[in-house]
Amino acid sequence: MSELENKANDDPGGGAHHGINNGPEDDKGLGLGVIFFMGAFLVCFLSGWLLFPKLLYSKKEQPFNFDHSLHVEEIGDCETCHFLREDGTFSGIPGLESCMECHTDEPMGETDDEAVFAEEYVAQGKEVPWLIYAKQPDCVYFSHAAHIVAGGMDCKTCHGHIGETSSSRPYEENRITGYSRDIWGKNIWGIKKNSWDRMKMDDCADCHLEEMGHKGYCFQCHK
Amino acid sequence: MIENKKVHKFGMVIDLDKCTGCGACMVSCMSENNVPFKEDESNKKDSITWMRVYKLTNGKSFPETEIVYLPRPCQHCGGIGDHGHSPCVSVCPATATDYGYDTGIVSQIYTRCFGCRYCMGACPYHARYFNWWDPKWPEGMEKYLSPNVSPRMRGVVEKCSFCYHRYQLAREQAIVEDREIEEMEYQTACTTACPAGAIVFGDLNNPAHKVHQIVKPDPHPDPMNHKVVGKSRNPKVFRLLERLGTNPKVYYMSEREWVRKAGDNYLKGEWENVKTHHGASSSHG
Amino acid sequence: MKIDRRSFLGLGLGAAAGIALSPVGVKLTDDSSIWTQNWPWTPVPEDGEITYDRSVCSLCPGACGISVRKINGRPVKIEGLDDHPINNGGACLHGIAGLQYLYDPARIKTPLKKNGNKFEKISWDEAISLVAGKLGEIRESGTPESLGLISGADNGSMAQLFRRFMDAFGSPNTYTMPSLESNLALTAAALHSADRSLGFDIDHSDFILSFGAAIIEGWGSPVACIQANASRHERKAKLVQVDYRLSNTANAADKIIAVKPGTEADLALGLCAVLLAKTKIAKDSLSGDVNKLAFSAMLEKEYTSDKVEAITGVKAADVEALAMAFIKAKAPVAVPGKGRGDVGQSLREFAAVQALNALAGRLNKEGGVFVMWPAGYLKFPENVMDDTAEQGAGKAKLAGSVTELVDKLEKDGGLSALFIYNANPCYALNNTEKVKAAMDKVGFKVSFSSFMDETALKSDVILPASIFLERLEDVVSGAGLAKTVVGLCRPMVKPVFDTKHPGDTLILLAQAMGDSIAEGFSWDSYEACLEEVTGDIWDTLSDDGYVVIDDKPPVGTPVTDFTFLSSAPKIDVPMGEGDFTLVPVDKMRLAGGSMISSPFAVKTVSDTVLSGKYSVVEINPATAGALKDGDVAVLKTAMGTVKVKIGLNEGIMAGVIGMPRGLGHTFNNPYVAGKGVNVNDLIGPVIEPGSGLDAAFGIKATLSKA
Repeated sequence: MSELENKANDDPGGGAHHGINNGPEDDKGLGLGVIFFMGAFLVCFLSGWLLFPKLLYSKKEQPFNFDHSLHVEEIGDCETCHFLREDGTFSGIPGLESCMECHTDEPMGETDDEAVFAEEYVAQGKEVPWLIYAKQPDCVYFSHAAHIVAGGMDCKTCHGHIGETSSSRPYEENRITGYSRDIWGKNIWGIKKNSWDRMKMDDCADCHLEEMGHKGYCFQCHK
Repeated sequence: MIENKKVHKFGMVIDLDKCTGCGACMVSCMSENNVPFKEDESNKKDSITWMRVYKLTNGKSFPETEIVYLPRPCQHCGGIGDHGHSPCVSVCPATATDYGYDTGIVSQIYTRCFGCRYCMGACPYHARYFNWWDPKWPEGMEKYLSPNVSPRMRGVVEKCSFCYHRYQLAREQAIVEDREIEEMEYQTACTTACPAGAIVFGDLNNPAHKVHQIVKPDPHPDPMNHKVVGKSRNPKVFRLLERLGTNPKVYYMSEREWVRKAGDNYLKGEWENVKTHHGASSSHG
Repeated sequence: MKIDRRSFLGLGLGAAAGIALSPVGVKLTDDSSIWTQNWPWTPVPEDGEITYDRSVCSLCPGACGISVRKINGRPVKIEGLDDHPINNGGACLHGIAGLQYLYDPARIKTPLKKNGNKFEKISWDEAISLVAGKLGEIRESGTPESLGLISGADNGSMAQLFRRFMDAFGSPNTYTMPSLESNLALTAAALHSADRSLGFDIDHSDFILSFGAAIIEGWGSPVACIQANASRHERKAKLVQVDYRLSNTANAADKIIAVKPGTEADLALGLCAVLLAKTKIAKDSLSGDVNKLAFSAMLEKEYTSDKVEAITGVKAADVEALAMAFIKAKAPVAVPGKGRGDVGQSLREFAAVQALNALAGRLNKEGGVFVMWPAGYLKFPENVMDDTAEQGAGKAKLAGSVTELVDKLEKDGGLSALFIYNANPCYALNNTEKVKAAMDKVGFKVSFSSFMDETALKSDVILPASIFLERLEDVVSGAGLAKTVVGLCRPMVKPVFDTKHPGDTLILLAQAMGDSIAEGFSWDSYEACLEEVTGDIWDTLSDDGYVVIDDKPPVGTPVTDFTFLSSAPKIDVPMGEGDFTLVPVDKMRLAGGSMISSPFAVKTVSDTVLSGKYSVVEINPATAGALKDGDVAVLKTAMGTVKVKIGLNEGIMAGVIGMPRGLGHTFNNPYVAGKGVNVNDLIGPVIEPGSGLDAAFGIKATLSKA
């Protein structure tokens, strides 16, 4: 800043070669400055809002489309596939073995996705490399039992209406952190409207404070 | 609500007369907690062993010599007055270590730690270790790592967690079965491994637990030193550097006086005063 | 229109304002702070379902039950199995570190063939036909007895399968590495009858007199022994340790009897003499025994307490007091086998200690010593032997023990081929240079090793074995345990490398040889073989994971034959020159014999045992002279000269140097090899007449500042 000030002070006194000549055009310069300001502002503002999120996240498609609504309709609940094991740990995304309780290497439906699943995974006995939207980093310990059973929480509180979707949206991975976009949320400002919009540590702490009267200790959620 | 729940205070008592120095606790800890190893571990200053077995001797010549092995995990200090201000927790500028008021366990969060090592300087027990290098496993060996404990990286401090993940796992089981955790459901890896049965682990607050019965902790501050809380009322039980008021949750036990005396540095004549002084009798509580 | 600096200013400010009012700043700050906590090169272990699987550890003869924790089928932790009849939930550090052996850098990943000085990879088919071809040539030449076998443990179906192969092939030349188990079997054979083993009921004894046995440092079944010791306080049982240094066992003992190294047998005989002279009971118990008069005459003449004092350094009064304390205890037992009781032991010492048990009437009594029948659960179909086999099997063995074999081979050769299974003689026997020279005299060496250890490096073909976590096997207890338990070791994981179960390898090899040998090995796989030969107990074994064959004292009192002791000459161990006696020291945290320590185990080793590249030797400050703690010194014996570090230690007898055993490996695993020296390199074997054992418990040495 001091350099700018020095230059500005220089101007009226010994503005030598260009200061005097350009005198009459001062107003125009200011106008041009405003235009540049506005232009740059707009470009940066808009790209910050529109382009930046696109650059920040890389999009990855799931191995094939999964229709949650269809499965919920057939099976009736979330817990058949995403269940708590007897030891209280959470099964997470079902493995191939679970799927094969109903599916065989003969596609059950007409869609291409069914065919991909049957041919590439069931027939070859290969696990589907699903990309997990709600995946937390390795340092996080999360007990589904504590939240669902002890806390009586609904799946939707954190996972939203994923059970009602008929198509798998692309998985967006943050290029800097490597985390799923769902952790920060769709809104690039991190503003949340619903409880499931963001799953950062502060969100856990807010809910804990509200429900338990205490934000908790490090080891409650970390390992 | 955390406040409404029964507050645990997990701790252990190690019988130094039973410990044979076999090292099973150290290896059980290392394999339970993804502790790495280097090609040369003979420089013990940079060798990471959450549980370390020290060797003490009475200094007499053979065959009068006696040695005692002293296993030293993190002492999970409650700090002065047992208010949770452990020496390490108090100095951490990053809140990478905190005191769990519901368990009495001192945590260490690797992603949060930035490696200033203040906690190592503050710890009177050398229970904290710094990762001077990235951990490296020989090709393929990373396949045995456990998902319940995060592997560390260079530049962070690590230490014993009383196998907190085992508490988490036991708690999940208890939750789905709608009951409290049983004493034997949450045991640290060193405790279960000890072939001599020298380590007893449990809730110091729970009179039904063996650790409580052996230690008989005095709930009141020591009248001679108000910093000290939870002093054992068992004359054979002591804590390391007890008078500092760090209030560790690891107690030691020995029939031998020289061993109990080795738990602190005493000035001439000081021990004579201390050795007969134990926690107040239970009539106070 | 001219663009001036104000325009640039406008541009800059506009851009700054634009970015400031966009989420870029906040988001980048947050993301970059997370980025600083990210270490993408650190492994993230995969999570999944936790299961527990039961098996048996066969790293050492302990035969402990283990529980393997798995995540989605991937083993992540080994712990002791609760309620197992041997280890009841306990575990030792070697077993707990078991998973490190799966991915050990020194593991042999495929079959190998020596080509010049290097190994080259070959397929299993090639390897089997190569070995079968060579063996076929030997049989055709009519000298099947020139195939030798050196193996580790001598029990269980694998040992019998190897013997069966040797029999069918036509060779009597099978040898086992010295072990506590084999030494106890020899003792039983010399004093009672052949084909028996000895079990020490330490669990129920109230007075354990240990002649240097490292009861809590790996003697016998280590965890069972540690547990038996731990329960002593509640049982009010005494432990008296006869030793020349403060081993952990000595430290745990109620009393230490300090003896000069190598005089334990004399003390035991001295105690026998006191019992005979001073008690009535002992003389009565001699009735029915063999050669008792000659024995008592010898004791009376040569083992008076004064003479024993002169030999052992234990005061005559103390000898007498100890004998009386022993006999007055309710359930005393004397335990032989200093250290782990494997290398450097004499039958005279084992027999003397066992004679003490016999005189005190402690045979087959609870809390005493059991003269046990063999486990006898294996029923192999009759072997098929052709003429060549019959002929070869009738020939005399080259030597009586593996130490004698080494001696013989090094001098005149005698074997054209050698199988090595579960053994690492090039490391574990005394004078390893001599062992290596003996190996060089054998034309064709086939190793069944899992690791590229010192002996595997010397072989011509390696048929790599899957390790215990990858294979099925019956594991039978032994090693001094007073009960017989057969456990089932089960594959916890598919073989990580291209290795095979050695049983399967042997079956393939036999079938490739054809004719009668193939007939005797007509199983489809080792699994089928095991199921057949364990027929009677297979169902229980596979359901429960173990079968307790026997855990009660055997009925009756066996006859004791004192002939060996009355005639056994006291071996004069030639020790060379030096002011000090160097003795090996067995440490719990360092594996002994053919077992190699894991990286975790080596990590736990104290810096008073291993310091950088140096072994640290224990020496009493009183005899250290000018040597200071931590000095590098030159240690010299008749066998070799090495550099060591000095560890001044009050807990060792003056004039004795204690050197840790289990260091100084030389193969390619930077975590466990290249550390310290192998104490076996410095000690020369001394063969005991009558037993063939290497009785060199130590050697004279000099120590000087480097």
